[in-house]
Formats: sequence, C-alpha cells, structure tokens
Amino acid sequence: MTDETNSNELENTGLDRYQETMEEFLSAADVRVVYGEPIQHNDTTIIPTAEILCGLGFAVGSGSGTDTGHNPDNPSVGKGSGGGGGGRILSRPVAVVVASPEGVRVEPVFDVTKVALAGLTALGFMVGMTFRMSSKRRALTSVED
Amino acid sequence: MPMIEREIQSGEALQVGNYEITPQAQLYRIRIPGCRAALAWNRPHAVIVRNEDGSEEVLPVRDVTREVIWSILAGGLLGTLLIMLMKRAR
Repeated sequence: MTDETNSNELENTGLDRYQETMEEFLSAADVRVVYGEPIQHNDTTIIPTAEILCGLGFAVGSGSGTDTGHNPDNPSVGKGSGGGGGGRILSRPVAVVVASPEGVRVEPVFDVTKVALAGLTALGFMVGMTFRMSSKRRALTSVED
Repeated sequence: MPMIEREIQSGEALQVGNYEITPQAQLYRIRIPGCRAALAWNRPHAVIVRNEDGSEEVLPVRDVTREVIWSILAGGLLGTLLIMLMKRAR
C-alpha cells in the first residue's frame, strides 16, 4: 500500500513537472519567434517572417500485478511505471517585410515545391476517381451482358 | 484553461529610417483535453507602419503559398465532383 502511494506521488510529481514544462513551452511562443532579426542592406532593411507550429505531448503510467499461477501460497507481486514524451517544431517562411526610403511593403514568399506537390496530389485524386468510376461502369456493363 | 486560445501579440516597435514598424503575430494555443498535449501555432499577422507625419498604415501579412495550396485542393475536389456529376448525367 505504501509502495503504491509512493508510486502515485512520484507519478503526480512527474505529471506536474511535465505540465509546468508544457505551460512554459506555450508561453514561450510569442511574436519574437515569428519575426527574424532585421537585415540591413544599403538603404533597405529586410525583416523575415515565418510561421512556427510546435507540438508537445507526454504520458506516464504505472501498474502492478500479482502472479498466483506458479505458487498460490506465496504469490509474486510486480509493479512498474514508465513515461515518455515528444515534440516537434515546424517552421516555414511566409513573407519578408521590406523597408526602404520609398516605403514599407510586405513581399510574400511563394513556395513552388509545396504548390507543385499540392497540384500533383489534386491531379492524382481526380485521375484516380475518374478511373475508379470508369472501371465500375465497365464492370456493371459486363455483368449486364 | 480554454481548449483553443487565440491571441494577437504586438512586438517591440522598430525604427527603420523614417518609419516605425510594429510587428504583430497571431498565436493559437491548443490544449487537447484528456491528454497532456499542446500545440502552438504562431504566424505573422500584420505590420503596423507609422510614418513620420504620424499616420498609421496596417499591412497584412498574407500567406500566398497556403492560399494557393487550399485553392488547388478545393479545385481538385470540385473538379472530381463535376466529373462524377457529368458521368452520372450521361
């Protein structure tokens, strides 16, 4: 009973620490991570901007069991606990802010590779669906014949 | 704590030549209930430019890549639906 209580306390302490870490992680996400350091070039200043997506997750667990199969008079008791977590940060350039003596403008960043991949995916979906429908129709016609 | 939290944050103003630039970011904090997981999505929202005469201009930061990708995917879905309807009508 005492061991179980200690295990639960340990688990709760671990969970609290993870929760604190998660809250710190969420509060660290602010405007400074989106806008980069200004880059000076002659009269022009460029500020890069990026989209940041970050995720974090974790879990802990514990369990115990009693084995009476081998020796019913003296059952063996076992317990264990474990935990794990992980996270990922994705970053993608979105635009650059260009400040020159003529004025300030926002120039978008166009990612051709991503757009091409999306286009190929959409095209593949359309072609696949069309073939699927044609083969179904052909199968129905042959059954009717 | 809310499950989805949206916030517009303003950064420190930056003096560039005659302009004062204040960056703004849009932040989404997503906490998944029932499990200890969180997601933070941070993206540039707009840039507020203050000219030397004191006038302010808000320049929105558009994510052209995302707009084009969603348009292509929506077009693909719509195209498939149209092909299906046309084949059924025949």
